Amino acid sequence: MQQLSSRSYEVDDLMSAQELYHSNGWTDGLPVVPPTESAVRACLERAGLPPDHVIGVESVREQPITAEKLAINAVMAGCLPMHFPVVLAAWSAMVKEEFLLHGTTSSTGGCAVLVIINGPIRKEIGASGGFNALGNSDRATACIGRAIRLGLINILDVRPGGIDRSTLGHPGKFSYCIAEDEEDTTWTPLGQMRGIPPGVSSVTVMASMGPRQLMNEWTHEPEEILETFAAEMRASQRHYSIYGGNQIVVIPKQLRDILQKAGWSKADIGRFLHERARIKRKEWADVGKGAVVRDRGESIYTALDSPESCLVVAAGGPAGGFGAVIAPWMGHKTKAVTVPIGAKYVKREEA
Amino acid sequence: MTIRVLDPTNEAKPAAGEEAPRLISLRGTTVGFISNGKEGAKEYFNHLGRMLETEYGVAKVVHRIKSNYSAPADKHIVDEIRSWHAVVTGIGD
Repeated sequence: MQQLSSRSYEVDDLMSAQELYHSNGWTDGLPVVPPTESAVRACLERAGLPPDHVIGVESVREQPITAEKLAINAVMAGCLPMHFPVVLAAWSAMVKEEFLLHGTTSSTGGCAVLVIINGPIRKEIGASGGFNALGNSDRATACIGRAIRLGLINILDVRPGGIDRSTLGHPGKFSYCIAEDEEDTTWTPLGQMRGIPPGVSSVTVMASMGPRQLMNEWTHEPEEILETFAAEMRASQRHYSIYGGNQIVVIPKQLRDILQKAGWSKADIGRFLHERARIKRKEWADVGKGAVVRDRGESIYTALDSPESCLVVAAGGPAGGFGAVIAPWMGHKTKAVTVPIGAKYVKREEA
Repeated sequence: MTIRVLDPTNEAKPAAGEEAPRLISLRGTTVGFISNGKEGAKEYFNHLGRMLETEYGVAKVVHRIKSNYSAPADKHIVDEIRSWHAVVTGIGD
């Protein structure tokens, strides 16, 4: 394999390494795994990529993103070599024009990049879609999500107060990665819903606000359950952004058992929510935003661009009627992107 | 035993752009404003434009608004910059 091109530093011990990274602003505030050449090489070898392979270029500031730098940041985040192909795929999705990488990572809006993993690789790397799915559920999702953030900080200078102009941000900016619970559902996995062939692993990335949790444990009517999700979307339209785009809907086993038993598919859910999650602009006046209603009070805004814009994910522990809606950063200004995982895909992109 | 660790930052910096010639005076010039389109930018840029005309003798002020406040300026706006003597851009939020 080619020589690595990154500058190297000699430090006395583990603690000295921490201070080197913290003092240079190269961390997210938490300790990092020191990225040694052997650990970085192991990631690159796993992906089958040379160090200078360019995954993409951030177009606004013309910053190339190489496999070597992604591997360094992945090691720092705690990734094992088997996690690295997921990190690579997520970045190859983030550099697609429709994701709007610079806008989503620099905005005062304060979103984070949510990574959703589908396919066989979930089992290989131990990515869980069960208990605590949106929190600290397992090593793989924790480290992969953190690798995305460290890469943004170090490769694209997305530091708070630097390129990152977030007013508030949210905790997902440390790590925001989930796996779908494909085994405990009859629904088609998200990757396949978005064009990935069965049996092929994939990641979906979306510039996402924090998860808004909801609860409905008092009905067995599918429509009533979904009305709660629709209400959450409408609330977000009133309080946050009225504009429609992708929305992620996380449905746990207790609620999806009811929906599945009644024959509701993910596509049915998308159609229902597209129809029900919409507000008139004049509703902004109810929540203190009357100044920007103007003469468009009767205009209708849907939370979803289309039924297909609804990204339904089966995830969560086996008990509890708690679901979540994850709103996009700013309506359809950014779009969720799904790509297959694997070195072959990355190489084909280069060609 | 020491540890050798690697730099995680992007060491391959893109080439810097070329600086436009500086103006000696604004008198008689055309100045363009590129707004991100947010509420806060509108009045501020309008006010600055009026100041340039009344206090600095600027002949013409052109206002353009990006179609997406989070994306680079549209190509037709960037192309138009060539016909201006100076351009002002910034973030109104």
